[in-house]
Amino acid sequence: MNGINLFPLFLSFKVASASVAIALITGIPLAYFLSRNKNRLSYFIDSLMNLPIIFPPTVLGYYLLVLLGRQSHIGKFLENNFDIMIVFTPLGAVLASTIVSIPYLIKAAKVSFEEVDKDYINAARVMGKTETVIFFTIILPIAWRGVISGVSMAFARALGDFGTTLMVAGSIPDETLTMPIAIYNSLQADDGKTANIMVLIMTIIALATLFIISRLSYKRKGERNA
Amino acid sequence: MKIFRLIFTLLLLYNTSGTNLHPENRQSKDITIAAAADLVLAFSEIGKLFEKTYGIRTKIIYSSSGTAREQIANGAPFDIYASANIKFVDDLIKAGKIIPDTQELYGIGRVGAATSVKTKLRISSLNDLLKSDYKKIAIADPSHAPYGLAAKQTLEKLGLWDKLKDKMIYAKDIQHSLSLLNTGNVEAAFISLSVVNTKKVNFYLADDKLHAPLKQSIAVVKGTKKEMEARKFIKFVNGTEGRKIMIKYGFILPDGK
Repeated sequence: MNGINLFPLFLSFKVASASVAIALITGIPLAYFLSRNKNRLSYFIDSLMNLPIIFPPTVLGYYLLVLLGRQSHIGKFLENNFDIMIVFTPLGAVLASTIVSIPYLIKAAKVSFEEVDKDYINAARVMGKTETVIFFTIILPIAWRGVISGVSMAFARALGDFGTTLMVAGSIPDETLTMPIAIYNSLQADDGKTANIMVLIMTIIALATLFIISRLSYKRKGERNA
Repeated sequence: MKIFRLIFTLLLLYNTSGTNLHPENRQSKDITIAAAADLVLAFSEIGKLFEKTYGIRTKIIYSSSGTAREQIANGAPFDIYASANIKFVDDLIKAGKIIPDTQELYGIGRVGAATSVKTKLRISSLNDLLKSDYKKIAIADPSHAPYGLAAKQTLEKLGLWDKLKDKMIYAKDIQHSLSLLNTGNVEAAFISLSVVNTKKVNFYLADDKLHAPLKQSIAVVKGTKKEMEARKFIKFVNGTEGRKIMIKYGFILPDGK
């Protein structure tokens, strides 16, 4: 094999970034909800959120394939009316890695929302601030570090996902073949050299990205030591 | 706290004294076989018959031939390696992980395309796959899976590969390819004749002159403590009873042996 196709690397980073973005948009409100409500429903949702971690990734991928695949109600509807397929597309890969990574973000964000001192919130309420304003100007800035640590864990998990993506995305070269699967394929083809180089490239870039993300949590507050 | 410590200790004791964790404590006559995914049906039957005949139990681990090769290269405690590609066994002989004189050709696989009986689709020629009814087609990844490669070679010979490329979904092995078909996510799937279940799929057998022969090779892994039993199993696969079963599942027997 001459030269290494870097498409899987770029795809993996795009997929992981998109997954984290989706995880942030949907996960932060959910984490906030879970941190504010302590009742049966919230405990149930909280437990439910752990399922993607409990399931073996390939099994999870299989269920996604059945649930969102071309024979599912959703899959059939989208294909017949809009000619859209979720599975075997980059969108499928994004969906797979969002589902496997979102629990990490929710867990970390929930805990840090819970730890925000109630006095600050109550003080803001006394001053007549709305709940939305309080969330964005007080709770989120204070809980920032926890959210960032959740983001980095979710990003790492999304980037490295193998099993779920393997089942849902279809491993199509130059289309849905992500880095972990490309590495697996080289190993299977007894091409350890290519695999090692790909692992090295991926490790360096992933570490650099995670480093930048964790630096972000300190930069934000303008202090260096925790 | 004390009670937790007690439970923990008990669990630890239970685990370390369990026989399964120590390969040397395994029942002395069991043999462990790493077999290619296309052997699922045939070897399960051969294994049962072998046990009945010799009283030696077989534990068969089915995976893609490439996975098993990597595992054996890294010292996996298998007694036998049954590969869907003779080259993989040769690789391991070169690496000194196989007892060279135990290697035997035991069958030649056949590849083809399957459709689900739940649909009306039936393949009568591989050209049918060009039709718009076939939106997605599963194939075991040709970069490492023997049957995927054979399917790709066939399509290339027929001048169909470039036209069908955009429909292809890459599975990790033929079992995965079959499961994509069974869940209705692809309209057709390339699989081996040996895993065809006629209750579930219709199968179109490809002309085997269009691809390199799928030579299946079996050998004893070096370092096994059960070389005698393992050799016996290989002889059994290639003997009258074994061959009968291999033929039943659509393998062609290697000539000259």
